[in-house]
Amino acid sequence: MFKIIEHTADIGIEAYGKTLEEAFENAAKGMFSLMIGDGKIESKVMKELEVPFDMDEEQLLVDWLSELLYIHDVEHLVFGEFDVKIGKEKLTGRAYGEEYDVKKHGYGMEIKAVTYHMLEVKKDKKGYVVRCLFDI
Amino acid sequence: MWNGPLEKIGEYRYMIPKSYRGINGNLKMRVPALIYASEKMLPSIKKDNAPEQAANVATMPGIVGKAFAMPDIHWGYGFPIGGVAAFDAEEGVISPGGVGFDINCGVRLVRTNLHIGDLSRETIKQLVDELFKNVPSGVGSKARIRLSMQEINSVLDNGARWAIEQGYGWDEDLEYLEENGCMEVADSTLVSEKAKMRGKEQVGSLGAGNHFLEIQRVAEIYDEEAAKVYGLEKDQITVMIHTGSRGLGHQVCSDYLRILEQATKKYNIWLPDRQLACAPVKSKEGERYFKAMAAAANFAWTNRQLIVHWVRQSFEHVLREDAEDLGMHIVYDVCHNIAKIEEHVVDGKKMKLYVHRKGATRAFGPNRSQIPMKYRHIGQPVLIPGDMGTASFVLRARNEADEAFASSCHGAGRVMSRNEAKRRWNGREIAKILEKRGIYVHPASWTVMAEESPDAYKDVGDVVDVMHGAGLTTKVAKMVPLGVVKG
Repeated sequence: MFKIIEHTADIGIEAYGKTLEEAFENAAKGMFSLMIGDGKIESKVMKELEVPFDMDEEQLLVDWLSELLYIHDVEHLVFGEFDVKIGKEKLTGRAYGEEYDVKKHGYGMEIKAVTYHMLEVKKDKKGYVVRCLFDI
Repeated sequence: MWNGPLEKIGEYRYMIPKSYRGINGNLKMRVPALIYASEKMLPSIKKDNAPEQAANVATMPGIVGKAFAMPDIHWGYGFPIGGVAAFDAEEGVISPGGVGFDINCGVRLVRTNLHIGDLSRETIKQLVDELFKNVPSGVGSKARIRLSMQEINSVLDNGARWAIEQGYGWDEDLEYLEENGCMEVADSTLVSEKAKMRGKEQVGSLGAGNHFLEIQRVAEIYDEEAAKVYGLEKDQITVMIHTGSRGLGHQVCSDYLRILEQATKKYNIWLPDRQLACAPVKSKEGERYFKAMAAAANFAWTNRQLIVHWVRQSFEHVLREDAEDLGMHIVYDVCHNIAKIEEHVVDGKKMKLYVHRKGATRAFGPNRSQIPMKYRHIGQPVLIPGDMGTASFVLRARNEADEAFASSCHGAGRVMSRNEAKRRWNGREIAKILEKRGIYVHPASWTVMAEESPDAYKDVGDVVDVMHGAGLTTKVAKMVPLGVVKG
């Protein structure tokens, strides 16, 4: 589950999960929902990725989403499903999706980058809440 | 709503005094902050936290003079958009937040010897559609040329010069680009593989968001003398390009924010906001960021150069005339997201400074050696892009701009969130309204069309009027759109 949050010129997401992993997966879903229109993303290809966990959880969130943006830019893929595992030293993730097709997926917005603004990873009674804003 | 102190200290000039301690009461401003604005703009400026951000910038090590904000100030990451800050080249810092994600986002203006009477509405439509075909635009727009890694490195090290050498443009073009289209300090080896991969996929594309490519008509001339020197006259047709360094620049910014975040701790720099992450200019981290940023800036100049080449080809194709015969010369090219080493006089003393401009344009007045010979006696043209459906302006830099480290505004500044705009308007309806106003639009997406509808921005006319009234840059010409390719 995630929700879209807004700020004057920009937009972000707040995502939830019972575990930190699930919250990260939902954050990624939220980000791609902004990048496309109403179309559905099918799981036709799978990308495995690794992100070093060398700073804090907030930075890890930024790096995870940035890595997905990078793959999107370079390989023209969009993703709809994710599997995240967070270890002591790194995050390993799988992203399932397909090539971006305007006709099928529709237009969303171009996300330039993941920012540190309003960036937060927090634990509450129900699990984890993660939040970040994008530069668009 | 921001409730800090704003003292009127002159016409269009409002100051946040050094004594202001900030929202949390812990700020130690090293210099005051000065915002250029009209009375009318103050409520919208105070609406978001942008003035606080200007005060935050004023706390950073080595800042000199004042932290400035142009009338199009609005909230940005760390530094406000519309912000100008200069740091001592020995003791100061450099910050990616003071430049922005879209390194060397900028504007280029091309003139023609065509007049409004030479183009029917049908021809304008054909031109716009041809431009749309030839210049990749929109979310995920892909490059139409394939560059090897070696070529990307050459782009990063040589800027627009690379494009000219490959036949994308005319030799004279370089003279009319800020920095002649290349920051020599650039070092491609300091740009990550990832950034280069993103650049490879997107070189020569417009992108999305507020970027555009527009066919315009000169609607008004305010300064006959300067207009003549810049080669502009009433009812002339011009083409404006607004874009930046695409994913390459965004990646460079992200990569170095991570590094500078660590550097901030390493060098024990206290900052009121994490997004002001910075490093001393003389540190390894600071130097590397500066050289990588310069490389991204060079990529952006190349990007705009390729687009100009395809603009000329599009005109040639539709009008069946050579671009040379159509007089498609570059008026000028400015960047409005950048940090540069410049010399300025501070308190009567000449100083070497790292000037950060984020959503602000360099405005070198008469007699600066860095501006084209042809313009030197009257000052640099400052190009202010409007937003879809609104007017754009050419201003003339005055020596008065030196009070703000030779800077001016960059555009309108957003007043409404993109989602709010999307809910309120429907893209197709906006296109219809614009068509009634005589503007033909070919957007890559109707959603972007709604997000970027002109009413979401402050009036660009108000913004340039403040700069004109304050005397930093004065109005030369106003252009209105005839046809727009929206990213």
